[in-house]
Amino acid sequence: MAIVSLANVSKSYPSPERGAPRIVAVDDVSLEIEAGEVTGIIGYSGAGKSTLVRLINALEPATAGTVTIDGRAITGLPERELRAVRLGIGMIFQQFNLFEAKTVAQNVAYPLKVAGWGKTEITARVAELLDFVGLADKARAYPDQLSGGQKQRVGIARALATRPRILLADEATSALDPETTQEVLALLKRVNEEYGVTMVVITHEMDVIQSIATKVAVMDGGRVIEQGDVFDVFSDPQHASSRKFVSTVVQGVPSPAELAVLRERHPGRIATLSFRDGDASQARVFVELAQAGLEFELVYGGINDIRGRAFGHLTLAIRGEQAAVDGALARIGELVQVTEPPADPPAGPSAGDGAETGETR
Amino acid sequence: MDKLIDLGPEFWTAAGETLYMVFFTMLFGGLAGLVLGVGLYVTRAGGLLPNVVVNNVLNVLINFFRPIPFIIFIAAVQPLTRAVIGIGIGTNAAVFALSLAASFAIGRIVEQNLLTVKPGVIEAARSMGAGPWRILTTVVIGEALGPLILGYTFIIVAVIDMSAMAGFLGGGGLGYFAQLYGYRQFEPIVTWAAVLLIIVFVQIVQYLGNWLARKVLRR
Repeated sequence: MAIVSLANVSKSYPSPERGAPRIVAVDDVSLEIEAGEVTGIIGYSGAGKSTLVRLINALEPATAGTVTIDGRAITGLPERELRAVRLGIGMIFQQFNLFEAKTVAQNVAYPLKVAGWGKTEITARVAELLDFVGLADKARAYPDQLSGGQKQRVGIARALATRPRILLADEATSALDPETTQEVLALLKRVNEEYGVTMVVITHEMDVIQSIATKVAVMDGGRVIEQGDVFDVFSDPQHASSRKFVSTVVQGVPSPAELAVLRERHPGRIATLSFRDGDASQARVFVELAQAGLEFELVYGGINDIRGRAFGHLTLAIRGEQAAVDGALARIGELVQVTEPPADPPAGPSAGDGAETGETR
Repeated sequence: MDKLIDLGPEFWTAAGETLYMVFFTMLFGGLAGLVLGVGLYVTRAGGLLPNVVVNNVLNVLINFFRPIPFIIFIAAVQPLTRAVIGIGIGTNAAVFALSLAASFAIGRIVEQNLLTVKPGVIEAARSMGAGPWRILTTVVIGEALGPLILGYTFIIVAVIDMSAMAGFLGGGGLGYFAQLYGYRQFEPIVTWAAVLLIIVFVQIVQYLGNWLARKVLRR
């Protein structure tokens, strides 16, 4: 039984202009989130990601479809009952949204007061939470005395105060530098692993998906266009839009413009080898090239690791006799996927599979 | 100068009347203005308790009364003053007119200061299951307290200014004193004594306001 289930959910707003059609932020989305999973929601800005997560805690009421939390349909519930639902769903934000006029301890205590906890229980819980996020010494500090990473840790402590089973994160690390991002991600990972909190994480950063997500949903134009295991979606995106998005966060296949530059700088045949977990190792591929007496250099691409499974695209410039190159590429083609971009990009549809060159939009 | 010394008792009575008017105006007008401002804030589109009708009524009400020059407002509102206070003249009548006029201005200032609270902070409180009244009283007011204190300080200074017109309906005060004993009797020193004391009041109020706001804002 999914802990969060969206069935044909839509959210639209009346257009500010009279007579214009309603603005659709989320369009007929169905999504199941299993307990204990970390689901990444990715997509360009304006794709409807923020609205989608706010449907889960009913900060935005759905205009069609049904949102079910823990087996209970929350769509259409009166505001008073929704408040009770929200106590079981924590949320953290890009801009942290801490109460500036309250101390760190008061910030963390706030949801507990809303939930009606007793004073001694609150004190104990706040201490426990600040300890968990490593800010026990900052209890009396005010948010403007903290660094960005510390603020987000307070945000996490506050969101977890009432022991929610679900945590929503809206671009929680986008305002942080890379090092602090890793720190916060490590904390979120602990939250998921130690407390089994189910997470829905909006992001446009590959780091976030790579280090904590188990599932991913790609949004475009208010729709979820692709969802599944992170590895599957990232190593082999099915939808043109997801391919485009994935290529912006994972260095993959060179674009036609990049290809032109590569051809100018590197003589030889350009070929892209696509590796996926379970395929032949890189070593075997390179041995083939070496045995054929070919000279080659790696000109583009990289290998990515998602939870111990590797995938990636390596583009090589290979020099040697035409026949030898043909033979070697044919043998390599039996081991991994080989793509040779056409000699004259960008005219005409290319043969590139999974490449940006393959798109005619 | 001798004249001023002779007028000593009247001077201090006038000062007392000014303080009396400012204090009670801030008490009644301050509270009414807070209610008006909070009403404007919560009922606006996208607010905590959106209500187009109430919001429009409050807006029209405030926009109707606020531009009326106070000296005219005192006269125009006199029938109402008589109905509420029982008498149309005197210090208490002046306090009534002052409170009414101040509450409209304070309403706007309160609304503006509450609007400085970041929507994200309110959304965070909502995401924790807090209801609109709890958010208003435990989050919004607290977050806006620094600017609110400065806003009220500004209004106190404005009320000191307005209270000088209380003499118009026999309300007394330093403004009236300066007018009666200074201006009309060609005694500039008397006029300036009243002006100086008003400046001292304003300085003290502004200093306290700034100090309190800094304490609240911790900077």
